[in-house]
Amino acid sequence: MDAFLIALEQVLSLETILWIAIGEVLGILIGALPGLTATMGIALLLPLSFQLPFAPGFGMLLAVYCGAVSGASIPAILIGIPGNPNALATVYDGTLMTAKGKASLALGSAVLASFIGGILSLLALVLFAPLVAQFTLMFGPAEKAALALVGLAIIASISGDELAKGIATGAMGLAIASFGVDPFTNSLRIPFPELFRETPLSTGIGLIPVLIGLYGVSQVFDDLKRLSSPPSEVHLQQFTETFPSLKKLRSMWRIILESTGVGTLIGAIPGTGASIAVFIAYDRAKKITASGKHGLEPVGTGCVEGVFAPEVANNAVTGGALIPTLALGIPGDSSTAVLLGALLIKGVVPGYQLFQQKMHLVYAVFLTLFLANLFMFLFQLKGIRWFAQVIRIPLSYLLPIVLILSLIGAYAVSGQGFTTAVYDTALCLAFGLIGYLLKKGGYPVAPLVLGVILGGMLEENFRRAIKLAQGNYFVFFTKPIAMVFILLAVVSVVLSLIQKRRSARLVKNSKF
Amino acid sequence: MLGNSRGVKIFFLGLSFLFVATVLFAAGKKEEGRWPDPEKTITMVVPFAAGGGTDLIFRALVEEFKKQVPCNVVISNIGGAGSATGTNEVLRLPADGYTLLASGTHTVAATLQGLTEGAFQIEGIIGLNWDPFIVATQVNKPWKSFRELVDAAKAKPKSISLGNAGMGGATGVASIGINQAFGGAFNVTPFGGGADLLAAVLGGHCDVGIFSQTEVVANRNMPRSLVVLYEKRSIIPELSDVPTLPEAGFPNVKIPAGSYRSVSVKKGTPPEVKQVLAQAFKKAFESPGFQEYMKKNGLIPAFTLLKDTDAYFEELRQMYIPILKEAGLLKR
Repeated sequence: MDAFLIALEQVLSLETILWIAIGEVLGILIGALPGLTATMGIALLLPLSFQLPFAPGFGMLLAVYCGAVSGASIPAILIGIPGNPNALATVYDGTLMTAKGKASLALGSAVLASFIGGILSLLALVLFAPLVAQFTLMFGPAEKAALALVGLAIIASISGDELAKGIATGAMGLAIASFGVDPFTNSLRIPFPELFRETPLSTGIGLIPVLIGLYGVSQVFDDLKRLSSPPSEVHLQQFTETFPSLKKLRSMWRIILESTGVGTLIGAIPGTGASIAVFIAYDRAKKITASGKHGLEPVGTGCVEGVFAPEVANNAVTGGALIPTLALGIPGDSSTAVLLGALLIKGVVPGYQLFQQKMHLVYAVFLTLFLANLFMFLFQLKGIRWFAQVIRIPLSYLLPIVLILSLIGAYAVSGQGFTTAVYDTALCLAFGLIGYLLKKGGYPVAPLVLGVILGGMLEENFRRAIKLAQGNYFVFFTKPIAMVFILLAVVSVVLSLIQKRRSARLVKNSKF
Repeated sequence: MLGNSRGVKIFFLGLSFLFVATVLFAAGKKEEGRWPDPEKTITMVVPFAAGGGTDLIFRALVEEFKKQVPCNVVISNIGGAGSATGTNEVLRLPADGYTLLASGTHTVAATLQGLTEGAFQIEGIIGLNWDPFIVATQVNKPWKSFRELVDAAKAKPKSISLGNAGMGGATGVASIGINQAFGGAFNVTPFGGGADLLAAVLGGHCDVGIFSQTEVVANRNMPRSLVVLYEKRSIIPELSDVPTLPEAGFPNVKIPAGSYRSVSVKKGTPPEVKQVLAQAFKKAFESPGFQEYMKKNGLIPAFTLLKDTDAYFEELRQMYIPILKEAGLLKR
C-alpha cells in the first residue's frame, strides 16, 4: 500500500498532469496526421522524456501512445485515410457514416469506444501484469524463446497475400538484429571487424533509429508523390457531441467485450499490435451482427457497431501490450518496444525485480495510463473540431517537419555520445530509404520490424536454453509452457494459411 | 567587375586574418587561465545504462566531486558493446581533462576482448573500490555449501550451470575463473544482465549465479549465498555469515572475482590537469558521504592515485589475460 501512495503522490503532481496533457494533445495530433504512427510519436518524444522524472516522463509517452492510437480514427472517418494502421478497419463503416451525414456520431462513437477499450485493457493490465510477474520466475530461457517464436509466427498472418515476401523481410529483420556483438562470445559480428572495431557499428543496429527510419523517414519519401495533390477537403459541418444511446451501448455488450478481449490478447503477444487486432475485432463484430438480432445493425452498412469494434480493440491493445513489457521485458508491439527502451534508459529493468522492489513504479505506470485514457476522452471530445483541422495541413509543410523531427529524434535518442548519435542518425536515414524501397517493391515492412524487435530475444534465449540443457536441442519440448507456445505458433501459422486458401477459393468461385 | 572581385578578395583576406587572430588570442588566453575553466563542463562518461550498479557508484562519487571543482560536472551514460562504446567515445574526444571515463575491470575486459583500445589509451586518476562477488543459488537446490556444490559439479562435470551477467563483464570473467579453478566442472552460461540472471536463478532455470552483493541483498526472496569471493567477509550485515573462499575450504583458489572501479582520462592529458583532478577526487573519495555509500553497499576501498592506479590497472590486466586466454576470449 505504501508503494501505491508513493506512486499516487508522484502522479498527482501538477508537473505529471501537465506533461500527460501535453503528451495527449501531441498524441492525438500525431494520430490524426496520416502517415505518423504511434511508434514514431513515442520515439520522437523519447529524448524529451529523459529530461523529466519517471512519472511525468513515462506518463507523457503513454499519453502519446493512447492519443495516437485513438486520434487515427479522425481522418479514417472523415476522409477515409487512416491516420495510422490502428484505424485501418475503422475506415469502412466510418466513411459510410460520414457519407450518410452522421460524421459527428461516428467520431463520438470512436472516442467513446477508445475510452472503453483503453480503460478495460488497463483493468486487464492491472489484474494480469502482477499475475504474470508472479509467474515470471517460471519463464526461463526456453519459455522466452518459445514466446518470441509465437510473435514471429504472426508474420504469416500480417504478410497479406505475399507470404514469401513477408518471410523475406522478416528474415532481414532477424539478420539486422544479430548485428553487433555476439552475446555469448563477445566476438564482433560486423563486416571487416578489424577496420570498424572502434566505430559505433560494434554497438549493433539500434531498434529506435530503425523504427524512426521505417515509420517516419520512409513515410516522408513515400508521401513525396502526393505532394502535388491538393489537401484533403474536410466538410466542416458543425460537429456536435453525439454519442450512441445507452440502449445501443447495452445492446453492443458482446462486441465491446470481444473486441476488448481480442485487443488485449493480440497486444500481449510479443511484437504484434493493433493492425492485426482491429481486423479480427471487425470480423467478429460482423459475425455477431449478421443475424440482425438484439437491435444490432449489421456491420459494413455504416453503423456505430462497425466503428465501435475496431476502436475498442485498438485501444485495448495499449494495456495488453504493456503486460509482457512490464512483466517480462518483452515488448507487446512496436510502440511498447520503444517504451521498453525508455524504461531501460531510465534505469528501470522490467521483469521479476520490478514487481518485487519497485512496485511504486508499476503503480505509477497504471495511474498515468489511467490519466492518459481519461485525458484522451476529454480532449478529443471537446477538441474534435480543432483536431479535425489537422487533416487540412498541406503536405508541403508537414513533410519537412516530420523529416526534421525524425532526424532529431534519432540523433537525441542515443544519449550524449556524439559519434553514436551521428551513426544513429545515419541509420535512421538509411532505414528510411530501405523502408521506402521495400514499400515500393510491394514488400511488407511489419515483418521486418517484428524481426528486429524479436530477433535478439529469440537468439539469446534459444542459445541460452540449449546451453543450460547441455546441448539438448529438444529441451523446448520438455517444458510445458514452452510447448504451449510452440503449439500456439504452429496453430496460428496453419490457421492463417487455411484462411488464405479459403479466401483465394472464394475469389476464384466468384470469378466463374 | 574586376574591382568588385578584388574587393571581395580583400574582404575575405581580412576576415581570415581576423579569424586567425581570434583563434590565437583565444588560445593564448586559455594558456593563462587556471584549470578547470569555470565556464566549461566536466563530463564523466559512464559506459553503462543509467541505474545499474556501476552507474550508481559513480553518481555517488560525482555528487561529492562537484563540491571540489568550480565548474559544472555532468554524467553521460553511453552504454553498449560491454562498455566499449562509451570508452571509444572518450578516446575520440580531446585529452584536456574535461572528459573523464568511469573505468575499471570492465575496461580491462573489453580491451582484452578486442572491442576497444581503452586500457592502453587511458591514464588513471584515482582507484576507488572493489565490489566482491557472491555465488548464490535458489533455496530449494540441494547444495548447502560451496564445498557441496563443487563436489557435485566434479562428480558430474557440466551438469551444474553457473550463470553470469554477460560474458564480457566482470561476472563473466569471474565465472570463467571459477570454472577453470575447478577443472571446467561447470556449465558457464551468460545472461542478459544481472536482473535476467537473478530471475533465472530464482526460477531454478540456472543452478547457480554470480552476483554483486547489492543484487543479492535487494531481494525479498534472497537466494542462498554460498561463498563470497574475497579474503574477508562482507561488511553488509545480511551477508556477514557468508563464508569466504578459504573458509569454504579453498584457501588456494585465487580468482579476480569482483568488479573494480577507477576514474581515468585519455592518454596525453597534461600532468598539471591530472594533478588537479586527482586532488579533487581524493577529497571526494574521502568525504563522509562517499565513505558512507561504500560502507552501505559493501564496497571495499582500493584507493590509489595517478601512477599507482596505472600500476594496479596493469596488475589487473595481467591477472585477466590467462583467464580470458584459456576461455578463448582473448583477442589481443
